Amino acid sequence: MSAAIKIIDKVPFFGGMFRVESNELNPVNAWPSLMAMTSFVWFAIAAILGVSMPAIQFMELGSNWYYQNITLHGAAMAFPFVFQLMAAMSLHRAGACLGKRADDIFVSLFYIFMNVGALLLTVAVLLGFHVTYTVMFPLPVVGVMTGQWSMFTLVLGFTGIALVLTSMIFIYPIKILRMSFFGQIDSTLQVAERSMKDPGMIGMVMGALVLLVTGTPLMIVAGSLLLHLYGIFPAEWIGWAADAVVFEFVFYIFAHNLMEAMAIMIIGAVYSTLPLCTADGSRKLYSDKIAILALWILLITSVTSFFHHFFTMYPALPSTFAYHGNIMSFATGVGGALTIFTILATIWKHGIIPTPALFLILGGFVMYILDGVSAIVISNVAWNFKLHGTMWAGGHAMVVLIAISALWMGILYYHYPLMTNRTIDDSTARSCIKYFFISYIGLLYTFLAAGAAGMPRRNGAWESDWYIFGAFMLIFGVMLLYAFVLYFLSLRKSTALEY
Amino acid sequence: MIEFLYTNAWGAFIVLLAFQIPFLIVFFHIVNKKAFADSAPSKTKPEKYSAYRHGWTALVLVAFVVVNGASIKYMPTIVEANTAGDKNIKDVQVTALSWAFQFSESEFKVGETVRFKAKSTDTVHSFALHHPDGHLLFTMMLIPGAGTEGTLVHTFTEPGEYTVRCLEYCGIAHHAMKNTFTVN
Ligand SMILES: [Cu+2]
Repeated sequence: MSAAIKIIDKVPFFGGMFRVESNELNPVNAWPSLMAMTSFVWFAIAAILGVSMPAIQFMELGSNWYYQNITLHGAAMAFPFVFQLMAAMSLHRAGACLGKRADDIFVSLFYIFMNVGALLLTVAVLLGFHVTYTVMFPLPVVGVMTGQWSMFTLVLGFTGIALVLTSMIFIYPIKILRMSFFGQIDSTLQVAERSMKDPGMIGMVMGALVLLVTGTPLMIVAGSLLLHLYGIFPAEWIGWAADAVVFEFVFYIFAHNLMEAMAIMIIGAVYSTLPLCTADGSRKLYSDKIAILALWILLITSVTSFFHHFFTMYPALPSTFAYHGNIMSFATGVGGALTIFTILATIWKHGIIPTPALFLILGGFVMYILDGVSAIVISNVAWNFKLHGTMWAGGHAMVVLIAISALWMGILYYHYPLMTNRTIDDSTARSCIKYFFISYIGLLYTFLAAGAAGMPRRNGAWESDWYIFGAFMLIFGVMLLYAFVLYFLSLRKSTALEY
Repeated sequence: MIEFLYTNAWGAFIVLLAFQIPFLIVFFHIVNKKAFADSAPSKTKPEKYSAYRHGWTALVLVAFVVVNGASIKYMPTIVEANTAGDKNIKDVQVTALSWAFQFSESEFKVGETVRFKAKSTDTVHSFALHHPDGHLLFTMMLIPGAGTEGTLVHTFTEPGEYTVRCLEYCGIAHHAMKNTFTVN
């Protein structure tokens, strides 16, 4: 029996959502199920931390708790939750569509690096390493020099981050590329055959390449710093990497494209799943060509739109790069517009079957587009100066992750019968979707309005004007947590498939 | 109206809604119709799809060009370029450090145009100016060692207490990085 199945069986509550029978499909089911289950464990921790933040302000527990929880919440949501869930679903899909195993050394190494890395970072944060999930370099080093946290927590935290980054930038993309282009096809695993001409598969490969290409410079810079911290590289070797501008640029080239890669990958997954839910059984998109064109536009334009993270650094950021970033950010909107068209034209042309899986996917898509609008608005240079650093920016990062997780959770609903031989509880799933969508809308407009009103993000001492937004964050945050509980229950209450 | 859209953060919020609401209406209408009301394949002719596609793409492109084109004159780089050579501009030095601001001046007159020259001496900070009603007038991200001193030109049009904050998280007392300007 696969080690993954044994671990799932031992985990209380969450294990019950992902019990996998021992069968010939285990090579594509077992490890992705374990990864999905583990991602939801991280979600549960991160969600409670998220809800705790407005609560800390209302109860006046102090900024230290706030900064600790904001660091843990952000890191856990972005990496071991959303990224791991995406990796789980894409490995399962790649395995079952291309007939390749998803249980080799790459998959287990990914799992270990991601989760052990996240655990080490968690311990470092609990010991005082309060740097937020964007690290804010050179803050980690400045914090040691000014006595905010110890050298030990810095080394521990950076080690954890390095493990997580290695899993995302090297192990996962290389595994996806190997599955896509190399190795023998095992026809027993290929239950839903797809070729590399399929928009879903193209989106997945694009996403993997973006992670590998835009992440490697960060790995070189962060790796050099870490080797210096371990005492292996002397200080004179790493002066270039310790330059704040160098670090900030390689960091945001990756961090920005990480989000874009996840978006391209999920749009690809929507393109391949939507046709399977059409009412006329045609199993076709309105147009594969337009779908692929949209993916290419998203890919090409998003890579250099990262400059929008630095607009307010003017004039250290030459203004030509700011204009370029502005134009490219809106150009991603053109890719988005073609995606909207393809999805609506497919629905219009073929009709759809209103299953919970499809509705969570379509709901997630609406969330993704609504967030996309907030993203391009703040990517205009003039507006950016009035919104950067406010809750608008922080809110955008949060709601895009909520949208991406909704989309993957919809895809998971769709694949669940194949993964576990069980079918989800329909009525619980429907109420989950309802609460999910309402809380999303609530959080989206709360964060954006708070930003427009000038409420800063990552500020541990709220002023009286901001509590009204905090109250709505708390209400809709709890509601979103409830939606996730319903999601968990819809899986736990699943029933065995009958043949 | 256009002035308000680009000079007040709530203007961005209005434009946001102008994009989002039509999208929501069309999306829900189509999904509702094809999932519940009539999920049979529609008989729309293929030419109609391409006509809609072209129209929709053109609409998006025009909207994007208009929204960004109209914003050019409000970009801080352009505002500053337009004030080049103006002898009445007051230069003010801003230094950000963990966790305080140092200003060469902090009292201004209504109508006064100021060129802020800002830098950070230790870690990443920002120099953000909030209107007395709370909304953000501008923020400048300050990265230590970025070479050039950041500059930004701002004209004070209303009297009151303006709050200066750091909006880039800079450590355990980040929230304490706060100061005020008085405009009479
Ligand atoms: Cu600061």
